Amino acid sequence: MATDPTTPPVVEFRSVTKTYAAGTRRAFTAIKEVSFRVDDIPGHGEFVSILGPSGCGKSTILRLIAGLLPQHPPTSGEVLMRGKPVTHPGPDRGMVFQDYSSFTNRSVLDNVAFGLECDGMPKMERYDLARDWIGRVGLDPVKDLHKYPHELSGGMRQRVAIARTLILKPRIILMDEPFGALDPVTRQQMQDLLVGLWRELEATVFFVTHDVSEAVYLGDRVLILSNSPGTILTEEAVPPPNRPSREMRREPDFVNRVFEISSLLEKLEEAAQHS
Amino acid sequence: MSPTPDPPESKPKSAEPTDPSLSGALGQDTEGNLPHRGMRTDRGRLARWFTIRDEPGGLERFLFGIACILLVLLIWHILTRGEGEARIVDPYTLPSLKKAFGSFHELWFDRALMRGAIASLTRVLAGFLLAAAIAIPIGVIAGCFPRFHAFLRPLSIFGRNTPIAALIPLTLIWFGLGEVQKVMFIFLAAVAFIFFDTTMSVRSVPGNYLDTAYTLGARSSWKNGLRRALYFGLAYALLAAFGLHWLSEAPQTIIAEAVDGKVPEQPSFLTQGAFWIHALLGLLVGTLLWLPVQSHQAISKVLFPLALPNIVNSLRLLFGLAFGYIMLAEVINAEFGLGKIIIMSQRIGPREHIYLCLMVIALIAFAIDRLILIIQRRAFPYVSHGH
Repeated sequence: MATDPTTPPVVEFRSVTKTYAAGTRRAFTAIKEVSFRVDDIPGHGEFVSILGPSGCGKSTILRLIAGLLPQHPPTSGEVLMRGKPVTHPGPDRGMVFQDYSSFTNRSVLDNVAFGLECDGMPKMERYDLARDWIGRVGLDPVKDLHKYPHELSGGMRQRVAIARTLILKPRIILMDEPFGALDPVTRQQMQDLLVGLWRELEATVFFVTHDVSEAVYLGDRVLILSNSPGTILTEEAVPPPNRPSREMRREPDFVNRVFEISSLLEKLEEAAQHS
Repeated sequence: MSPTPDPPESKPKSAEPTDPSLSGALGQDTEGNLPHRGMRTDRGRLARWFTIRDEPGGLERFLFGIACILLVLLIWHILTRGEGEARIVDPYTLPSLKKAFGSFHELWFDRALMRGAIASLTRVLAGFLLAAAIAIPIGVIAGCFPRFHAFLRPLSIFGRNTPIAALIPLTLIWFGLGEVQKVMFIFLAAVAFIFFDTTMSVRSVPGNYLDTAYTLGARSSWKNGLRRALYFGLAYALLAAFGLHWLSEAPQTIIAEAVDGKVPEQPSFLTQGAFWIHALLGLLVGTLLWLPVQSHQAISKVLFPLALPNIVNSLRLLFGLAFGYIMLAEVINAEFGLGKIIIMSQRIGPREHIYLCLMVIALIAFAIDRLILIIQRRAFPYVSHGH
């Protein structure tokens, strides 16, 4: 797939460094000199998995793209979205968090419709759209509609989180270990669901995870970060997820790739412990 | 607020572990959550009394409460039975149970208990409502903007650490001897606490909700905020105009007439300039206070609604305290009120009325507490409440 060189990349990091409490004794550099670019592939988008040992600044990268405090703004370097610096968070960059962040005071319907409500869409219209999306993420559009988050299981809550993010049709989707707290079976179901929805939306996805097989299965490309301060160590293109998760995971090519990346990560973790 | 079509009882079993206090509050069987399921013998039942955090059912909890009341009455009876030297406590210090309850008729009719109770209650309500109306929006703003909170902190600390009783002489100097003094006393006693609790409730809403709201497009718009703040302003205008009108119209007579069944004369307040000035002032204050809250969707749609259950809960607890404080103001100078009845009973007797009044106060406070708790359960079905 050829990229158009005249259009600016969807997201570009130009030697971005983030240091917290800079200038004090508690100064901590989360990421250092991170540079990469993700081009818009028309009619496809790109699925970028971000892998790395724990605490290497994976979430920092996502939150910098989202423009969320306190990661935003970067200490040095530039975070560009379509050629313009990121200044504040917005609905064009949807984000799904690991910890359940469904609004506890809102029903499933009102949670999914939240973004449209903020945008000022009339009630009937946004509820119709929300019902549609509740069905698309595999929730019951009748029974689950008026449930509150505390009545939902972890997997169902993440479905709500995905629905309320995708309903806004963001061009960039940021996912911060969204399936990290789910059991393996639910996790695979959610991965397949995500792949299906992503195909329809053709958005650019950034997916942070520490599960290597998840990263390899979902991603078109895997970014591997080194230990803190995080820098991009290597970048690897992987085959896109064009078959169901259960099939693909058994292929030797897939298994080998996962093994290679896992051992690389193990080395990184060891290096971190010795340093 | 979002509609709540599902009553909490009808919710299906969820995969999440249910909070035992919640299911207990809904009258469901809590047996399923107990750690010792095998212990169902009589001996096991007693052993459960000494099991840490073993939740009893609703009826059991009620019976334990009744047992406490009966025990207190029994001790009272033992202390005061017999005559003359045979009594453990002399009748001057503590009247007998029978004498105390026997004086209820006199208290109700001659001392006009009902009128006094309503007078006290309306004073607390007026002062507390005023305090809440001002402290809640300011508290929400302070909870969202730490610099504003840092600015108000000295006042908040001062207000919460001033001895309440020390305010009485000042309120007498500032507001005179009338009804305004009592309402303002309650206002001053409550406002700093409501502010503090509101701020803390808003601050304790986890940050991930805010991040989520921003990435879903929560915006700020003063224009939309102004429209919504005006609704609050209108409510404040009504309260200010009618409330101040009521305060100036010697409320004791209105209550007296209402209790005696007479219809109060229709006052021609609409022609009074003060009424409209108060209304305008209320409109201005209400709109200004709620404008910052309503202008940010992240506050009006996320932080404030998420903090609201905690805010209401702290209001419920603080109202109980405020109801206690009104006695302080009433024993010093009042024409009506429970505090007045108590001080009269102490000076000219019968002293039995003091005990009865204390019980009435406790009963009213308890009834209000339950009422607010019921409202809380209805309004916030997604939160687990205490008993």
